[in-house]
Amino acid sequence: MFDHMARLLASLCTHLGREQAKQEFKWMKQALDKGLIYAPTDLSTMVQRRLRGEPLQYILGTTPFGPLDLLTRPPILIPRPETEDWALRLANGFFPSPTRPLSVLDLCTGSGCIPLLLCHLWPPGTTRAIGVDISPSAIQLAIDNAVRCNIATYDEVPRTLPQTNTFTPLLGDIRDSAFLGSLKPPFDIVTANPPYIPKREYVELPTSVKDFEDPVALIGDPPEAAQQDGLSFYHCIAQLLSIKGMLKESAFVALEVGQGQAESVESILREVAAFREIDIWRDPWEKKRVVVARC
Amino acid sequence: MSSAVDITRAKQIKELEPLQDAWVSWSHARDSLQETIPLLSDEDPAMRALASEEYVSLTETLSEHVHSVFPKLLVPSSSTRHLSAMLEFKSGVGGSEASLFLADLLRVYVRHANANRWKTQVIASNETDGGGVKDAILEIKGEGSYDALRWESGVHRVQRVPATEASGRTHTSTVAIVVLPLTEETDNFSSGDDIFSMDDVKIEVMRARGAGGQHVNKTESAVRLTHVPTGITVSMQDERSQHQNKRRAFQVLRARLMDIKLTKEMEDRRATRRNLVRGADRSEKIRTYNYAQDRVTDHRLGLSLMNLTSLLEGDGLQDFIDALKRSHDEDLMEEIVEGL
Ligand SMILES: C[S@@+](CC[C@H](N)C(=O)[O-])C[C@H]1O[C@@H](n2cnc3c(N)ncnc32)[C@H](O)[C@@H]1O
Repeated sequence: MFDHMARLLASLCTHLGREQAKQEFKWMKQALDKGLIYAPTDLSTMVQRRLRGEPLQYILGTTPFGPLDLLTRPPILIPRPETEDWALRLANGFFPSPTRPLSVLDLCTGSGCIPLLLCHLWPPGTTRAIGVDISPSAIQLAIDNAVRCNIATYDEVPRTLPQTNTFTPLLGDIRDSAFLGSLKPPFDIVTANPPYIPKREYVELPTSVKDFEDPVALIGDPPEAAQQDGLSFYHCIAQLLSIKGMLKESAFVALEVGQGQAESVESILREVAAFREIDIWRDPWEKKRVVVARC
Repeated sequence: MSSAVDITRAKQIKELEPLQDAWVSWSHARDSLQETIPLLSDEDPAMRALASEEYVSLTETLSEHVHSVFPKLLVPSSSTRHLSAMLEFKSGVGGSEASLFLADLLRVYVRHANANRWKTQVIASNETDGGGVKDAILEIKGEGSYDALRWESGVHRVQRVPATEASGRTHTSTVAIVVLPLTEETDNFSSGDDIFSMDDVKIEVMRARGAGGQHVNKTESAVRLTHVPTGITVSMQDERSQHQNKRRAFQVLRARLMDIKLTKEMEDRRATRRNLVRGADRSEKIRTYNYAQDRVTDHRLGLSLMNLTSLLEGDGLQDFIDALKRSHDEDLMEEIVEGL
């Protein structure tokens, strides 16, 4: 038994390096011991999967996101610590109250991590969030995560219910204006972590990303696009933001960007007349990670 | 509805309870004694015998009050009595044997905490391949846990034949324990307070992450804090969540700074009294576990417990903790008397 465990750990070490392997091995054991794994499995199956490159978060079925513990399900994009960091910063920068509630639109919502964190951290009855995603399985995961986090997923809260925050995941293609019909603008806050990886970088990605996460969640440009710089979604989002009546008077916009894209996205946003102020936030690893703009 | 005033009053009443109890039992014994005295010369010999037995027991009770119960009430109530504790364990000399001993000690303190209905959680532990623990942090939550455990700080030494030692030679190895005061956790853990200012804390994430963001899905949750004015650094990596690691790191940092504050306050008090009692030195050897002699010795008390297993597997630790508290209370009383 002991030998078997030692062998499993040793094989992980050769793949991940000693320190990382020890940590991940411990987390796998903990998740099994605490009965946190949903599908019946065992340690050696889990290690085998990890050795084939599968992300730890898919094997464990969850990922932490701030104080939340969210479900993860292939191939929906696993929330990243960089996103966690800026979403927490965003949450700490606003103080909504039931008399001054905020309406939030999260484009490309995936697992729903960003609006769910805001709904969780802001006081009850202060937040009405909508998330849009093109992938039906992402929308299902966002709904399941809302249930897991005790956030109401319907928009019309009966008057008799105590004040709650709501998050409504909607299926839609943000490049097609048809989805606008189901929104109720104007919004106080618009967030997005759209696919931003250029095709030429995509082919170089590590196995755990390229072979397991949805390319639709990662690749920034449609194949027919003239520019393959990963910026297609930002042009599309800038257009949406320019639509009259989309944003409230002092609305706030936060867009996550990839390495080296912050300045380009900043100039794309400069074209949107409404913004008075544009800024760039760095992530904990000192990379320029988010372009934020205020009306 | 209880208001804040009511709660404060209730607390005061609760804290005065020992005084009230002592007074009631003293008066009761004194009254009984007065009633007993005439009976000592009663006609009935049976009654006289009974009375003189009663007399002995009552005078004992009264002198117990004079010698112990009342003086104890003089010991000022501790300003840290509400605090929980955080125990940092580090293995010292002795290599893997020290790590194995650390794992044993960790169990001793967890068992002791459970016996006192305190909540425990190992918030960091660095396990070795051989089943030992190189270093660990144990959180013990519950009122009074800090006061009870604070004298466990110091070097704990073990003398035994390691399970791994074929030749049967006795090894000496050590584990250092530091007991820190743990304050109530606030929701916004990373906002400064009276103990530190956020501007003084540098937060770093460990390791490079390449392009990061969507390009990478590896878990990188390790965090390091540096408190610039004191140079204290705290690293946390046990949780998958960076947020959680940060929360824990701030907890440890706060406990270490609080510890420095308390130590300084204590030294200041001593300096003003010109009393040169030496502060506890954490590099000092405080206890030895000798397996061959089945004996645990506390070097400060000069006290040995003959049953080592009762300490490792039972709750023998309580005996040391009680004795240390008594000795501390006596020191305090002496200080008070000297100050008169
Ligand atoms: C990088 S993921 C971000 C997910 C989540 N917001 C997060 O931060 O972890 C991008 C998401 O955009 C969705 N998406 C891709 N193209 C889209 C489109 N045209 N309209 C709406 N959503 C789209 C993908 O399904 C994917 O869930």
